[in-house]
Amino acid sequence: MKQIFVRPERCMGCKSCEIGCAVQHSKDKTLYSAVLQSPAPMKRLFVEAGENIRMPIICRHCEDAPCLNACISGCLYRDEKGFVRRRKERCIGCWTCIMVCPFGVITRDREKHIAVKCDRCHKLEVPACVNACPTHALVMVDVDEMSKEKRHMVILTESKAISHQ
Amino acid sequence: MHHVIIGGSIAGISAAKAIRNNNANAEITLISGENVTAYYRPMIPVLIDGQKAEVDITYPDDPIEKYRLNAVYEMATDVDVQSKDVLLSSGKRIKFDRLLIATGSVPIIPDIPGIKGQGIFTLRTMEDAIKIRDARSVAENAVVIGGGLVGIKAAEALKSTVNVTIIEKLSQILYQRLDRRGAEIISLALKNEGITILTEDSVVEIIRDGGNVKAVRLASGSTINADIVIIAIGVRPDMDIFKDSGIKISKGIQVNELLQTNIPDIYAAGDVVEFRELLTGISSVSALWSNAMEMGRIAGMNMTGADRRYPGFLTVMNATEIAGIPMIAVGIIEPEGREYEIITEDSIDSYKRFVFKGDLLVGVIFIGDIKNAGIYTNLIKNQIPMGGLKEKAIEGTMGYVNFIN
Repeated sequence: MKQIFVRPERCMGCKSCEIGCAVQHSKDKTLYSAVLQSPAPMKRLFVEAGENIRMPIICRHCEDAPCLNACISGCLYRDEKGFVRRRKERCIGCWTCIMVCPFGVITRDREKHIAVKCDRCHKLEVPACVNACPTHALVMVDVDEMSKEKRHMVILTESKAISHQ
Repeated sequence: MHHVIIGGSIAGISAAKAIRNNNANAEITLISGENVTAYYRPMIPVLIDGQKAEVDITYPDDPIEKYRLNAVYEMATDVDVQSKDVLLSSGKRIKFDRLLIATGSVPIIPDIPGIKGQGIFTLRTMEDAIKIRDARSVAENAVVIGGGLVGIKAAEALKSTVNVTIIEKLSQILYQRLDRRGAEIISLALKNEGITILTEDSVVEIIRDGGNVKAVRLASGSTINADIVIIAIGVRPDMDIFKDSGIKISKGIQVNELLQTNIPDIYAAGDVVEFRELLTGISSVSALWSNAMEMGRIAGMNMTGADRRYPGFLTVMNATEIAGIPMIAVGIIEPEGREYEIITEDSIDSYKRFVFKGDLLVGVIFIGDIKNAGIYTNLIKNQIPMGGLKEKAIEGTMGYVNFIN
């Protein structure tokens, strides 16, 4: 299965992913109407900067998801594709999921009074954040392919190192 | 292999799920004294004012069907550890190979004159909440005994149509969850919603008129009119039936790290368990949903042959919203000892309290602004050193990115 893969070395911190996400979760799903929507549509990922690093922090849809485990209302569930999603009408705004998410990617919708999180754009082939990223810091990668590619890279560097000895 | 679980709430259900996931063929019997579809217990306060109906707080997928359980809606009355039987109120016996005790806890009822009879409520089960909902429609005045989370939730659910007074014995509400300043903020917000809060006072008598509750008399001497009295002074493990069973009991049912009692084929999980608090190491009981869920899962796995160790629970790990203010409290709130450092940040719309022990964060309170709270919870729960991040943590500029190398 394809997963969102983050490559921090390519991230410029432009926040296009945040905008793409908010637009996708706006009423009309266009930038122009999203800008005018009030209250503004909410993003579900966050570009953060550390000492020598910039990158979007995204929901991992954890295999053993703390938010899902802690939800006291039956709002959070895992869908058939494995994504952790909301049954919005069940959320009462108890914020337990915010208390336990170690990535800090669940936030409050103050208007609707419910928790907001990434739904992995489950209706789209490519999530809006990935689609919006101009530098391919966010890419869709098949997990098995990724490890194959990594192995390949390691072999290449190792063999170069040996040949230089 | 026949797995029997006593208790149909979260500890029992998450154990049933774990057993089923590890063993597709095991026979699993769930004994529940509550004859209702499994529901989310922390949600019951929202039934009182009709914000949600019963169907909205039951599990979307009935665990009885989902995990193929035999449901027995009866009270367990005893366990015969020799013959490996659970005795039921009907006189029936159920044989088990492995047993899980997940009976949870029951409200503590203070021994005061007039406490027995009409007009007195607790808020522990769906049935309790429905009874309060019914009483609310004809009530004018309510007294809530106890200013903890349950009492406050009950008060908030009643306040739109009923005059509510919370009576708290201690000098602050939400003791153990919040510090004094935090409690002040929440108290003020509750008062602004029209709820009266009396601290350092207690109910010494329920005054009745022809059987009906009329008022309560306080230790301070005054009386307050009431037609509903809600008792919310805390809970205790529901373990009376095991007293003479041979299962080791102290503050709760005693278990090892596998959540196994002194009887090898009998496990326990949830509110009924006595275990060590993660940060202090103090042996105690917890009455938190998330802890019960985690224990149930681990017990269930171990009952089907796994070797999962339970690390212990945090006594304080609460998130909620009171009077429109979001709040989160995790870990050690009021530390004792000079090795702790307390830092507070108080602004117009947010209050934060951090408790550090050297380079470790051991407790936080967030009121108003709860952004990124989970990152802090993770630091506390896993005792991850702050490194150079202490200042950023206090400023609120610490993010997950700071933990990526």
